Amino acid sequence: MSGAEGGPAIAVPALRLAHLSKTFVGTRALVDVDLTVQPGEIHALVGGNGSGKSTLIKILAGVYQADPGGTIEVAGHASSDGRLAGSRVEAAADHWSPNKAFAAGMRFVHQNPGVFDTLTVAENIAIGHGFPTAAGRIKWGDLRRRTQELIDRFAIRATPDAPLIALNPADRTMVAVARALQDVGTGLDSGVLVLDEPTSALPAADIEVLLTALRRCAAAGQTILYVSHRIDEVLALADRVTVLRDGHRIATRPAKELTETALVELIAGRSVATDSRGTAVADGSDVVLELHGVHAGRLHGVDLTVRKGEVVGIAGLLGSGRSTLLRTVFGAVPIRSGSIVLNGHMARFSRPGQAIAAGVSYVPEDRGREAVFAGQSVRENISAGGVMAYWRRLRLQHGHERRDAVAAMRSFLVRAASDKAPLATLSGGNQQKVVLARWLRRQPRVILLDEPTQGVDVGARQEIYDLIQRSADAGAAVVVASNDFEELVRVCGRVVVLRDGRIVGEQVAPNLDSHRLTELAYRSENAA
Amino acid sequence: MSTESPPRSGDHVPAQPAPPDPTLPPSENEQSFVVAPRSASRSGGAFAMRIVEQYALAVLFVAVVVFFSVLPKTSAIYIQPDNWRNILASQTVLAIIALGSIVPLVCGQFDLSVGSVAGLTSVLTAMAYSKLHLPVIVGVLIGIAIGAVVGLINGLVVTIFGVNALITTLGSASVVIGVESWITGGSSIVQGIPTSLTDFGTGTWFGVPRLVFLLALVAAAVWYLLGHTPFGRYLQALGTNAEAAQLVGIRIPSLVRRSFLVSGSFAGLAGVVLLAHSGSGSPGVGNAFTLTALAAAFLGATSIQPGRFNVVGTLLAIYFLAAAITGLTFLGVLSFINDLFTGAALVFAVAISALLRRRKATA
Repeated sequence: MSGAEGGPAIAVPALRLAHLSKTFVGTRALVDVDLTVQPGEIHALVGGNGSGKSTLIKILAGVYQADPGGTIEVAGHASSDGRLAGSRVEAAADHWSPNKAFAAGMRFVHQNPGVFDTLTVAENIAIGHGFPTAAGRIKWGDLRRRTQELIDRFAIRATPDAPLIALNPADRTMVAVARALQDVGTGLDSGVLVLDEPTSALPAADIEVLLTALRRCAAAGQTILYVSHRIDEVLALADRVTVLRDGHRIATRPAKELTETALVELIAGRSVATDSRGTAVADGSDVVLELHGVHAGRLHGVDLTVRKGEVVGIAGLLGSGRSTLLRTVFGAVPIRSGSIVLNGHMARFSRPGQAIAAGVSYVPEDRGREAVFAGQSVRENISAGGVMAYWRRLRLQHGHERRDAVAAMRSFLVRAASDKAPLATLSGGNQQKVVLARWLRRQPRVILLDEPTQGVDVGARQEIYDLIQRSADAGAAVVVASNDFEELVRVCGRVVVLRDGRIVGEQVAPNLDSHRLTELAYRSENAA
Repeated sequence: MSTESPPRSGDHVPAQPAPPDPTLPPSENEQSFVVAPRSASRSGGAFAMRIVEQYALAVLFVAVVVFFSVLPKTSAIYIQPDNWRNILASQTVLAIIALGSIVPLVCGQFDLSVGSVAGLTSVLTAMAYSKLHLPVIVGVLIGIAIGAVVGLINGLVVTIFGVNALITTLGSASVVIGVESWITGGSSIVQGIPTSLTDFGTGTWFGVPRLVFLLALVAAAVWYLLGHTPFGRYLQALGTNAEAAQLVGIRIPSLVRRSFLVSGSFAGLAGVVLLAHSGSGSPGVGNAFTLTALAAAFLGATSIQPGRFNVVGTLLAIYFLAAAITGLTFLGVLSFINDLFTGAALVFAVAISALLRRRKATA
């Protein structure tokens, strides 16, 4: 790739990655990626779904081992008392580890900053570093003094004794940053701070506060590698931007030379013709589900109409409100204003049971936590929530239930030793098919699917697409939310783009284009 | 209700839950989950392991019985039918309490008030008989109703105020004990207990204590409730994954309330049985049942249906504990063995069931 290096490499780089590759079984998540971060620079790493940016961060943290052949090089850093703690570290990327990353002065703050809301700022700081003690007793005075220094250095609006819950969200994130950086020196000797989507959980008003704080850190010499999918943020904050796509480094450019359009272009790539299987449904078909100006959670006035037999995609990034939209229809998120109409009747569901009774099904995104009963059998998982159907003559008709479960396993292509197998013994793809079987076999009128192929292997993925289409053909109205836009193009007849809780665009088959969807989902101004 | 699992070896474990990182490619081979057992010897081993696990407690029970029946020092008394009639009858109260307590346990809630509730109802029912000269059946119903009311209050506090069930029921147990000694003034009620009730509590049919027939009914009822009604299935689902249970439409608060109502009602019944068996309503005896009942419930969850609270396992655990403690008492070990043995069994059983549950959830 023609990676035009923006900054002239005058100083010793704070972080240099060379020829970094990562191969998983069958796919190459990263291909020969080079990346150089200068001291005191804010370097943004951006890329769409499957671009490899998560993989890169995990390699840097030592969670994944890179393929042999790459190198990771980190400039030395000083310890907090000014002594040189680590000299220059250069290592083969396949022998990198969390310990090496830490020793080299790399510090990570993740999407969920991992702070403790009920503890004070000082206690939160100490938990990352150890409490100063004398004869086993915590030296609160020392801890308070050290915390005050960090509060001053990072301009956190708090006192050492304030409980974290009293801080606003941006300051809470900064406490996590301060905790991470407390044992490295200041200025150019302060190692490399890696921030992974730090604003995704912040309210809009707090994002600017956090960005200002980060700018101040960088001005003081802190090197920052900033991972985000928010284009406006990246352009406002970063000195340089590196774009990954499909595991390749596409470009590294100074942020000043980029516009939103240009950056989106780099992230989305050229329009790739995807085999679109979805078909648009004629306007004459019955309307099953209507949303009128729905405000709930992150949603700010969503209008949506889904017809019988239609598969509608919700294209949205993390934090766009795509899961909230599905959960609101399902009665799991309370609606503030607006209305939902189901088959011509006002639907005011205050709990999922009512939505289910009205013929709505919901397959959540987080399968392990929200969908499966891991210790229970496949059969129990399939009939979960629907056992009333087998309650006849004052007992559960187990034989009937078993026959139905076995039939559902066959119909939904579940591969398991038997219907009595504990669900945990199934692969991710088969577990997902069990969850689909649980809902789709009831022939619901509305099917809400959140990331239906998350953690599912390629073979099962196609089968799941077929199952979704089959339900639509049988007359269900299907809504699929995903951040994998290629997937939406493949399964949907129509896709709407959700951004910051609003619908900002729509495409209808056969004119679905994942490139265009990416543009719409990423751009920050309301361009149609 | 079956816990049979497919033949499997421990080393092939699918990654669960699936990693949320969309860049992660599939690492599992679909084909390896297709029906055929992988290797005969290994799956044979796993099968044997499962059988051992399922019946370990039963084997242990038999071993204890054989041991004390053969041991010269205890053999003479131990094998007497009277000894066995005594063991069977005297464990009925405990068994009913334990069977009731597994209902909330299945959905993940502890009811630590069951023993005290049984104590309270035995005393209150005795008072009702002695002061109001009620027909037997009315007294029985009053006893059950008192238990149900306490259970309902427990359930309401847990679901409306979100107070942890351990704390709620620990507190209500204390309140119940307080009410009991307040009402009785600390003295037992021995007069006016209907003889038909005490006859039932002490007599036999065909050489078997009559209470055993009642226990069989209770056991059948709990077994039916847990395994053959939607209520039982919802409890199991809630106990496995509360988040998912809510999203399949289960109304969690109402379910939790009903589970406490059931455990309280059975504790109430147990109180009446206590009165029938002992012939008097004595304050201060109930609370001791709680710990033993929980020990039996957890010990029972390690067998028959390992990893699940179940009726047969619970009964087995109760008679195992009783057979062992009786034998040790005949050996001349002092009464402290009761507390020692029960406490150790509880902790041991909880450790084992935690292990089983973890393995089941991540198998």
